[in-house]
Amino acid sequence: MLLSKPKGRPLVSESARIELPQGTLDLLILKAIALEPQHGWAISERIHQISGDVLKVQQGSLYPALHRLERRGWIKASWDVSDNNRRAKYYELTRVGRTALGEQAAAWRSLTTAVGLLLDTP
Amino acid sequence: MLTDALFRMRALFRRSAVERELDDELQFHVEHAIDKQVAAGVPREEAVRRVRLEFGGVEQVKEDCRDARGISLLETILQDLRYGLRTMRRTPVFSVTAILTIALSTAGLATVFTLGDTLLFRSMPVEHPEQIVAVSSTRGGPTPEGLVSHLDYLAFRAGTRTLSELAAYYPTAPLFVTANGNAHELNGAVVSANFFPLLRVTPALGRFFRGDEDQVPDRDRVAILSEHLWRTWFAASPDAVGSPVKINGTPFIVIGVAPGTFVGVGDSPIELYIPTMTLRTGYRWCDDALSPTCTVLAMIGRLAPERTADEAAAELTTLMPPSWINAPKGENSGITVVHPRGVTSDPSQIQMIRVLSGVAIVLLLVCCANLAGLLTAQSAARRQEFAIRLALGAGRARVIRQFMTESLMLALAGGAVGLLVSRGFVAIITALFYAVDAAGRPRYFDFSLTFPVIVTALAASVLAGCLFSVFPAFRSVRGGNGQAASRSSTGRWSSGRWLLGAQTAIAVGLVAVAALLATSANLAVNGSSFESSHVALMRLRPRLMKYPPERAQLFQREVVRRLAAVPGVESVSMVGIGAVLGGGNTPVGLPNWTRDQRIRAGYNEISPRYFETLRMPMLSGREFDDRDGLQSPRVAIVNETLARRLWPNRSPMGATIVARNVVQQVVGVVADARIGSRTEAVEPFVYAPFWQNPQQVDARLAIRVAGDPAGKLPALISEVGRVDPDVPIAETITLPLQLAGWARPVRLTATFVVYAAGLAVLLTAIGLYGALAFAVSRRTQEIGIRMALGAARARVLALIIGDGMTVVVAGALAGVALAAAGSRLVAHLLYGSASADWLFYVAGTVSVLVVGFAASLMPARRAAAVEPLVALRHE
Repeated sequence: MLLSKPKGRPLVSESARIELPQGTLDLLILKAIALEPQHGWAISERIHQISGDVLKVQQGSLYPALHRLERRGWIKASWDVSDNNRRAKYYELTRVGRTALGEQAAAWRSLTTAVGLLLDTP
Repeated sequence: MLTDALFRMRALFRRSAVERELDDELQFHVEHAIDKQVAAGVPREEAVRRVRLEFGGVEQVKEDCRDARGISLLETILQDLRYGLRTMRRTPVFSVTAILTIALSTAGLATVFTLGDTLLFRSMPVEHPEQIVAVSSTRGGPTPEGLVSHLDYLAFRAGTRTLSELAAYYPTAPLFVTANGNAHELNGAVVSANFFPLLRVTPALGRFFRGDEDQVPDRDRVAILSEHLWRTWFAASPDAVGSPVKINGTPFIVIGVAPGTFVGVGDSPIELYIPTMTLRTGYRWCDDALSPTCTVLAMIGRLAPERTADEAAAELTTLMPPSWINAPKGENSGITVVHPRGVTSDPSQIQMIRVLSGVAIVLLLVCCANLAGLLTAQSAARRQEFAIRLALGAGRARVIRQFMTESLMLALAGGAVGLLVSRGFVAIITALFYAVDAAGRPRYFDFSLTFPVIVTALAASVLAGCLFSVFPAFRSVRGGNGQAASRSSTGRWSSGRWLLGAQTAIAVGLVAVAALLATSANLAVNGSSFESSHVALMRLRPRLMKYPPERAQLFQREVVRRLAAVPGVESVSMVGIGAVLGGGNTPVGLPNWTRDQRIRAGYNEISPRYFETLRMPMLSGREFDDRDGLQSPRVAIVNETLARRLWPNRSPMGATIVARNVVQQVVGVVADARIGSRTEAVEPFVYAPFWQNPQQVDARLAIRVAGDPAGKLPALISEVGRVDPDVPIAETITLPLQLAGWARPVRLTATFVVYAAGLAVLLTAIGLYGALAFAVSRRTQEIGIRMALGAARARVLALIIGDGMTVVVAGALAGVALAAAGSRLVAHLLYGSASADWLFYVAGTVSVLVVGFAASLMPARRAAAVEPLVALRHE
């Protein structure tokens, strides 16, 4: 399963600057807000922290991705007051988005399993 | 998908709110990032710097978000429109000039389209026009000109299955009507009882004919008024229904009034309708109008559901009467079924529309060329703006698109204004040319703007907008890089020159042709071989009152005698056939010629003093006079052309000629009357004396008066009324007005081409002025240097004027060739001899040269007034 060629600045991992396809960012965003609605900063921090500081999302790609996902109808946005009493835009999964998350995650796992098998065989 | 659409809608219409939200969102993120850095111990300013670096260009991120939102195209179009409006407001002079230019030329185009649509293409203004068909007989040729007799009509109606309804009508019945103290000849129609139901017309008052009222000849004398007649003669009173009217001497009863929206099926409004069973009253040229040999009716039908016109034609051909099968040429022999389109099939009208369309398109092209030149100059001034935009990262396509959006806005605005202006033009044209026909009868044309015309005119203006902007757009963006901008021009406006030269050529061509046409229009009305300005005309119609020939002729002699005695009248004359300057035709030949040798010549029966009344010079011999009566030898007068054809080597005086199977002796030769245009050969003509035909009943009179013929007409009419008040008088008009009616194509074309020529000259002058003014402003430094080095002001003046005039002279020379070609194209509209045409070419060239000079003078004077020191400092 091929993911499309990245347009704009890609998601990079800090230490080695590995380039990951853009679809990955969408998957990570969906997963990040799967439990509860988050705003953009929280999403970015969450991805950074839970990946063990390996993956760092560039702001230049995060927000366009969020807007794209919103347009597609997989996430929806609402304005709320954040922890420090500032207005922030919170994103949450829609029903369609939840289904898409499941599909994309399954696809990713089968891809990585296949690639791993190929790499392990001498 | 719905979310998508809603998302885009919101992004589009609540744009500022969405932008603000994006701002807030990104700002929120930035602040958190800064706080995180500060919490890690980084000083605040350093934290701010790092975050900003990391974040990258905020605008770029915003742009990416906007792209992700996916409403780019529509949003950018709106942005283009808004920017275009601002630019238009910034350069008001240019914008107004451009809009006016396009408006005036699309007005011309829309006017021609409206004329063409109404005259040639529009379907009938009734319900379901696609079902209506015109059924006509053919007579030995493909052109359907045939009319049928009443019995033929009944046979077709009884037998047809492809037509659900078939009605018959005679729409130009001359009805002399007396009612309520009014007496006048009106244009009436004789229609079958199902005529109005077929067209789905409902009466405004009373009712229409019932089926049983159209069964027995002459039994049911019922009439229907038009709404106009009801208002003018009956004061719109409900008592009109049931009141008596006299039609051609026969009493009728009014039973209803047609609605005001229905004026008939042709271009002459119908004032009165009578049923086909009263055809003997309405049509007097057959002894019995209802007999099988009297073909007078046209037919109109409604197709049965799912049937086509071709099927109807095939079926009706099988229903033709047996006498049609092998009929000789000139008699009914076939039948055609067509959908009626427009109101005329006159080839001269069709040709006129073609010529006018060509002129309108040429005018539009001149406008485009002009605007392209102006835009090129203007966009050169905006080159810096484009360069900056390109440097900031705008795509080339985007900038070009924005440029073209501006031009399209101008073009559309011009097109809309042009449509408004065209309504005024059409109103003027209707009043000047289409209000009455050549006999003074009112005509009815519905020259309204229809949807197809509006769409076509706007499409033409959009196309023009694309045309005039594409070239400057590409040029300005190509030269958008820095170095090209400074090297932009040395003041030579080379590419604009060709355009200007072309415009000048077209202007010269149009002016010359306009002058030719205007002169021709004048000649057509005022005549070159006869004198028309003091001649009044009238038509006497004793036939409508069924006068026998003897009684009619007594009446005519008395009328001529009495009219000649009216003060102010110089001479009175009559013709028996057709119009005063026309007539019929007949085969003529020498006595020993066979039938095949005879040639067709014009023929008319004229009373004494005919040539004197019209001031047509007699070359030899005499006019007819009282000597030439019924008991005298038969005589004839021929024109020059016929004399040359029949007797090439000798004088025709005293020779014998056979015309209409009557042997006549030639007693006079008259000069040719050139009433046709250059492409029409002069017709050979033979005249016989009016009084030597014992069957004369109707006549047309030509009366020469000392002063204004129109002012004299009422006195003449009342004098005829004193002789016999019952005889209908019709077609009371002056000869110049009648000729103007005939010459409508040339007069209308002349008016239009004069308008186009004026506009072309104005545009060329504006274009030339604009280009030169711009060149001068670019060359200010150069001029300053020249003057500082010692050039006199006059030298600078000559330099600039020379620049302008080179183009004008070159264009003018090409224009002469265009004028020659143009005059060939309109040769069918030109009257008079061609030997003086070169004068018009010269006049056209000279006038455009003068205008060009004036247009060059103003910038040249400005250039010469430049102060060298100021100029040298000018950047």
